[in-house]
Amino acid sequence: MELSTFSIGHEGREVFWNAEHFEPILFMLTFVAMAIFAYGVYRRWLMWTAIGKPEDRTDDRNERIKALLKNGLLQIKTWSDPYPGVMHGLIFFGFVVLFFGAAFDATEFHVAEPLGVPFLVGKFYLFFSFLMDLFGLAVLGGVLMALDRRYLTKPDRLGYKGEPDNRPDDAIVLLLIAGIIVTGFIIEALRISVTWQQTPWEVWSFVGWTLAKAFTGVSPEAAKAMHKWAWWIHTAFALGFIAYIPYSRLMHIITTPANYFMATRKPIGQLEPIKDFENAESFGVGTIEEFTWKQIFDSDACTRCGRCQDGCPAYLTGKPLSPKKLVQDLKNYWLEKAPGAVASRKEQLIASGEGAANINPKLKALFAWLDKADRIVDENLPKGPEPTEKAMVGEVVELDELWACTNCMYCMENCSAAIEHVPKIIGMRQFKVLMEADFAPELQLTYRNMENNSNPWGIGAHLRADWGKELGVKTLAEDPNVEYLFYVGCAGSFDDRGKKVSVALAKILQTAGVSFGILGTEESCCGDSAMRGGNEYLYQTMAQANIEVMNGYGVKKIICTCPHGYNALKKDYPHFGGNFEVYHHTEIIAELIEKGKIKIKIPVDDVRFTYHDSCFLGRYNQLYDQPRRIIKAIPGARLVEMDRNHEKSFCCGAGGARMWMEEHGDRINDARAKQAIDVGAKTIAVGCPFCLTMMSDGLKFHGKEEEIVALDLAEIVWKGMGLEEEKAPVEVCQA
Amino acid sequence: MNIVACVKQVPDTEAQIKVKGDGSGIEEGGIKWVMNPYDEFGVEESLKLKEKFGGEVTIVSVGPARTMETIRTALAMGADKGVQIDDPALYNADAYATAEALAAAIKGVSYDIIFCGQRAIDDDSAQVGSILAEILGIPQVTFATKLEIDGTAVKATRPIEGAAVVVATSLPCVITATKGLNEPRYASLPGIMKAKKKPVDIKKAADLGVTGASKSKVAKFTPPPARPPGKILCADDTPEGKAAELAKLLREEAKVI
Repeated sequence: MELSTFSIGHEGREVFWNAEHFEPILFMLTFVAMAIFAYGVYRRWLMWTAIGKPEDRTDDRNERIKALLKNGLLQIKTWSDPYPGVMHGLIFFGFVVLFFGAAFDATEFHVAEPLGVPFLVGKFYLFFSFLMDLFGLAVLGGVLMALDRRYLTKPDRLGYKGEPDNRPDDAIVLLLIAGIIVTGFIIEALRISVTWQQTPWEVWSFVGWTLAKAFTGVSPEAAKAMHKWAWWIHTAFALGFIAYIPYSRLMHIITTPANYFMATRKPIGQLEPIKDFENAESFGVGTIEEFTWKQIFDSDACTRCGRCQDGCPAYLTGKPLSPKKLVQDLKNYWLEKAPGAVASRKEQLIASGEGAANINPKLKALFAWLDKADRIVDENLPKGPEPTEKAMVGEVVELDELWACTNCMYCMENCSAAIEHVPKIIGMRQFKVLMEADFAPELQLTYRNMENNSNPWGIGAHLRADWGKELGVKTLAEDPNVEYLFYVGCAGSFDDRGKKVSVALAKILQTAGVSFGILGTEESCCGDSAMRGGNEYLYQTMAQANIEVMNGYGVKKIICTCPHGYNALKKDYPHFGGNFEVYHHTEIIAELIEKGKIKIKIPVDDVRFTYHDSCFLGRYNQLYDQPRRIIKAIPGARLVEMDRNHEKSFCCGAGGARMWMEEHGDRINDARAKQAIDVGAKTIAVGCPFCLTMMSDGLKFHGKEEEIVALDLAEIVWKGMGLEEEKAPVEVCQA
Repeated sequence: MNIVACVKQVPDTEAQIKVKGDGSGIEEGGIKWVMNPYDEFGVEESLKLKEKFGGEVTIVSVGPARTMETIRTALAMGADKGVQIDDPALYNADAYATAEALAAAIKGVSYDIIFCGQRAIDDDSAQVGSILAEILGIPQVTFATKLEIDGTAVKATRPIEGAAVVVATSLPCVITATKGLNEPRYASLPGIMKAKKKPVDIKKAADLGVTGASKSKVAKFTPPPARPPGKILCADDTPEGKAAELAKLLREEAKVI
C-alpha cells in the first residue's frame, strides 16, 4: 500500500518500501538459497543413512512429538543452565519471532493486500513493530552474550583441558546472525529517517526510530540509496544464513530437535540386552558400522556446548574422558568414513535395482539429477589427505577414555541435545571384553570372582547369609510367605561396612513389623558391574540365576539396599522374565516414617547433614526426595546441600565397574568428599554401599575421618530410633 | 609345535571344605570347582607357544564327569581339543596312578612339549609332572617362571632361594608352571561358544591300557583343629613389659622359641 494511505488511527507501512522492483530477484535468490539448503540436507541425509545398523525410533509417536515440542520448541532443557539458557533463548526465540515477522510481511504484501484485507495496520501494526524491534534487540543481546562467553569468559567446557575449541564456523555463525539484525535495524532506521514526518507512529519501532536520528543530516535521496544497499546486504545475510545451515553448526537447528524426537523412550539407563549368544557372530561395538544409525546421528546433534563435560566426574578429576570429546571424535570419524559408505551404498542400490523400480518416474529423474550434482560436488571438493585407517576402539576412542566412565549418567541427563553417551561406551566395552578379552587385569579378577563365588570380592559364596545369622532373618526356603524379598546384594552380604547397613535395615523392618525374607545362599550377584563393565554374558548368567530363584518362590516385591542391584532388578531383569516391584530401602524407610510405623526419637544437636545423591538412585531413578525426607525427619538435623546435587550431583567414582578398577591420578571420591567437607557437613548420608565406601575413603584421604562420618540412611535411622541396646565396652585387661 | 597341557579340577580356593563323617574324603555338595590355578599358567603358556610357533594344544585331564567343565574352560581360552580320562578306578588316584594315566593318554597324541601346574592346590603333592616326565622318559623342568624356546633348545628359569636358575634342556620335555610365568587370559565370548563344539575324547583306564592302581592311599582326612581364641597381653602396659610377656608365652606355652 502507498505510504499516503496510512494515517494516525490507521497506522502502517509500505512493505517493500524503496525495494518494490527487487521482488522478482528476491524470489529467485530465495529459491537458490533454499535449493542450496535442501541439497545440503539431502547430502547429510545420505551420510546419516549410509552407516550403522537399523534401529526404529518412531514408535510411541505422541510422546516423541511432546519431547520435540518441549525441548525443540520450548527449549526447556537449555534453561537448566541460566547463562547459556538465556543466551540461547534470546537468539532462538528472537529468531522465531522475527521469522514469523518476515512471513507476516510477505503475507501482507503478496496475499492480504492484493485481496484487499491488509492486516498489518492500526494498533496491530504498532504492536507488531514494537515486537519486531524488541526481539531483534533480544537476538543481538544473545549474540553479544555468546561472543562474550566464547571469546572472553571462555569457560573450560567450550574447550578441552584448558585449550579452547573455537572454530571459524562458530564466529561466522554469530557474526552472520548479528549482521542480519544490525542491517535490519539500519534499513528500518533509513526508512524512518525519510518518512518520519508522515509516520510519527513509527516511534513504536523504537530501535529504528532512535537510530534514525543518526541519519538526520542525510538527504532523503542519499538515505534511499543507502537504504537500497543495506537492503541487499540484509537480504544476502538472511539468505546466506538459510543456505549455510546444513554446512555448519547451524545444522543443529534440524538435528537437535530431530534427536529429541528420536530420543530413547526406554527407562533411563536401561540397556538393550544381547540376545542369542549362541548364534551371534560378534558382540558389542568394535567398528562404527556396528553402532546403530541413531547412535551415529547423535554425534551430528552435538553442538559442542560442553554441558556433559561440566559435570563428568572423570573429566573433572583429570582423566582423558570428556563425553563431548568422545561424541565429537566419533563424529569426525564418521565424517571420514561417510563418503566411502555413501558411494558404496549407492552402488549397492544400483546393483540390486532396489528402490529405483518402485520410485515414481518424476522422483527418479530428481534423484538422477541429485546424483549428477553429487558427482560434480565430489569432484570439485578440495581433497584432504586420505584419512589413515584407525581402529575405532583404541584409537578414535582411546582405552583410557573408554574405561574412565563411571556410567553416572550426568552427560545424558544434562545434554541439551538428547545424546545417549552411556550405551555407546558400554557397547565399546562389550567389544573389548567379549570379543577381544582385552581389559584391565583387576577387572578380570573381579569377573572370575563373580563366576566362582557370585560376588565381585571373591569371598566364599557360602558366607553370603552370615550377616543376618544373629538377627533371626529367615530365608525364603524357610518361610516363603512373606511380603517382601530383601535382596541383600554382594556389598550387603560380604563387605564389612555394607553388612552393617543390612543389619540396620533388617532391624528397622523387624521393628516396623514388615514381613520379609532373604534368599540366603541362593542369592546371586545382581551382575550390574559385569553389565556396565561390558561383560554382558556374565551379567546375564547372574541375572538368570536370580530370576529363576525369585520366580521359584513367587517373589513379587523386592527391597534393595544397593542402588546398582535396585536399578538392574527394576529395569533390566524384565528382559529375562524377572518382573518384580522393586523398592530401594530409602523408599521403604521414608514411607514407614510417614506412616508412623517407626519414629526417630533421639535428637541430634544441630548437626549438619549433607546428602550425597547416588547416581543409580538419583539420575537413574529420580529418587531425590525420599532420602531427603528421611533426613528431615531426624529431630535437630540440618540438611545442607552440596553445590552439585540432584540432577547435577557428582558421582562417587564407583559406578560402571569402576569400583573394581585402579584409578590413576586424582580420585573422584576424594573430590566428592572435599565438596561435602566444604559445606561443613558433619554427617554425609548416602543410600548406596559403593558410595559409602568411596565417601569414607575420601574422608580418610582428607584426614577428616575423625570429624566427619559417612553413614547409610538405614544406619542413621536405626541409631535414631534409639532401640539398640547399649553394649558395655569390653574391658580387655581387667584392672 | 604340538603342545599338551594337563589340567586338574580342584575346589575353588574360597570354597568351604567339609570332611566326610568317615574321613574318606570331602563333601562335594555346594563346592564350586575350578581349574587348578597353576595349571592355568600351563594352559596360557601353551597358547602363547601356539600363537608363536603354530600347532595344536591338547588338554588332558583325569577326573569325573564334572571335569568336562574345566576342560571346556581351557578350550575357551583357545586350546584345540581335549582328552578326559574318566574312570571310577582313578577317582581317588594318587600322583603315580594319575601320571600313569596321563602318560598313556599323551602317548596317543603328538607332542613337543607338555605343561603341568607345579602342584594342585587341593592335595599339594607336586609330583604328577615329574612322574609323567619319568614315565615318558623325557626331561623336565619344574617351577618354571620363564620359558624360552629356540628350535628344540629350551631354556627355563626357576626360582631358588633368593635367586633364580636357568635350566637348559631340549624338546620334548615336561615343564611345570608356577606363578610369574604369565598372566592367564580371560576367555573371549566367541572362544566360549566355540569351545562347546571342540572335540573332547572321553577315555576309560582300560582304553589306555592302565589299571588305575595307586601306589599310595590316603588313610584318613581330618579337618584342621578349630583355632583357639586369641590372647590379650595384660600383665604390663609398657611396650617392654608386653614384649617380655610375649616372649615368655611363646617359649613356655606355645613352645616355639
